[in-house]
Amino acid sequence: MKKARKKTVAANGGSLWPLRFTLNGKKVSAKVQPTQTLLDFLRIEMGLTGTKGACLEGECGSCYVLVDGRPMNSCLMLAPQAQDRTVTTIEGFAHNKKLDVIQQKFVECGAVQCGYCTPGLIVAAKALLTENPHPTREEFLVGMEGNICRCTGYNKILRACELAADEMGLKKK
Amino acid sequence: MFYQPNVIEEALGLKAELKDGGTFIAGGTDVVVLMNHGKAAPENFIDLTHIPELRAIHRHDGALELAGNVTYAQAGKLPVRCLALASLSVGGPGIRELGTLAGNLASASPAGDGSTALLALDAEVELTSVRGARRLPLDKFFLAYRKTALAVDEMITKITVPTTYRSDWSKNGKRGAMNISIVAAAVAITPKKETRIALASVAATPIRCYKAEKFLTENGLNAGTIRQAAEIVRTEIRPITDHRASADYKVHLSGVMVRRLLENLVKA
Repeated sequence: MKKARKKTVAANGGSLWPLRFTLNGKKVSAKVQPTQTLLDFLRIEMGLTGTKGACLEGECGSCYVLVDGRPMNSCLMLAPQAQDRTVTTIEGFAHNKKLDVIQQKFVECGAVQCGYCTPGLIVAAKALLTENPHPTREEFLVGMEGNICRCTGYNKILRACELAADEMGLKKK
Repeated sequence: MFYQPNVIEEALGLKAELKDGGTFIAGGTDVVVLMNHGKAAPENFIDLTHIPELRAIHRHDGALELAGNVTYAQAGKLPVRCLALASLSVGGPGIRELGTLAGNLASASPAGDGSTALLALDAEVELTSVRGARRLPLDKFFLAYRKTALAVDEMITKITVPTTYRSDWSKNGKRGAMNISIVAAAVAITPKKETRIALASVAATPIRCYKAEKFLTENGLNAGTIRQAAEIVRTEIRPITDHRASADYKVHLSGVMVRRLLENLVKA
C-alpha cells in the first residue's frame, strides 16, 4: 500500500465541506453541507435546475449527470463525493447557443412530452454514444434502461437517439 | 463529519476511532436512499470513493482479485459469466457505475445479485481492520437477515473469484430493467466437476443449495439427475410471500430456473 498520503480532508460537524470540482467545464469552489446530495447541491446552490429529482432512490434516472464522463444518479451521491471530479449536467451540453446533436434530435423527433425525464435521457444517451458510437437497438435499450418516461412510450426517444448516432457518425467521416 | 481518505489504512483508522463507528459510503445506493426517505441520518461518513486501490482488479493464475469498490459496471466486463451477467442485471447504467460488489455483500440483501453470483463461485472475501486482515469463504459470511460476519471495525477489502468455473445466471422479475428479483439463480461447475447452486430472494439471505449440489456431485450431471436436483432445490428453500410474488410461485420458479440453467450448462 502507498506510504505517502494526502491529509484527510474532514469537515467538522455542522461546518461545511470545501468542495472543489469541475462543473460544466468551469472550476467551482463551494462550501457544501456534507449530507446534501449532489442533486440538491446542483439545483439549490448552483441554480442548475435542468437536473431533476423524482424518485430519489435510483429507480427513475431523472437525476442523471455525467461524472468523469459516466452516467450517475446524482440523487444517490453526496456532494463531497464530487471532489476533484468532472461533472456535466444538461446545462453543459449546448455550446455557443448551439444544442448538442442529441438535444437537437429530441426536438426534431418530438421526443418530449412533459419533459421531466428528458435531461436524464439525454445524459444517458450521451454516455452511451461516447462509449459506443454505433449501438444496436438492443444496446440502446440497455444504455437507456435506467431512465423512466411516463408519457411517450419511448419510440420517439429511441428514434431521436438513433438519428443522433447516425449524425455523429457522419460528422466523424 | 465527512471524511474522504485516499488510502485504505486511513479509512480503517477512522472506522476504529470514531465513536459511532462511522458509516462507510461508496455508491450510496443503499444509505443515501434511506437518507432521502428520512429513514437514516448518519453523523459520520467515511467516503471510500477516493481510494484508488479499492477499485483495482488483479489477475492471478485461475483467479481474479477484485478490490472491494469494484463497481457493477466494472464487474459486468469480467470474463466470469455468472458474475458479469448478474452485475449487468443490476439497476440501470447509473446504478451500475455507483454500486459496488462489497456494498452488495455488506448490505446482505436477500435479493443481492452480486452476492448470489459470488456465492456460486466459491468467492472468498478479505475482511480488514486496524487489527489485521482475515479471509473468509463467502458461504460463511451471511449469518441472518441483513446480518453478516463483518465486525464493526472491518471493511471488505478484497473479493477473490476463480476464473476456472463454468457458470451461468438467470434472473426473474416483473420487468426487464431496473429490476429486483422475484428469484435469481447462479449455477457453476468447478474444474473437479462439482456443482454449485446459489439463489436470491428465497430465504433470509442469498443461499447455497447444498443438498442439490451434493446430489449432483455424487450422481453426475445428466437430464435425469438435473430434474431430481431441481426437486431437491424446491425443498431446500424457504421463500416468503411478499409484494413481488407468492412463496409457492418462488418455489416453482426456483426449480424451473435451476433446471434450465444446468441443462444449458451441460449442453454448452
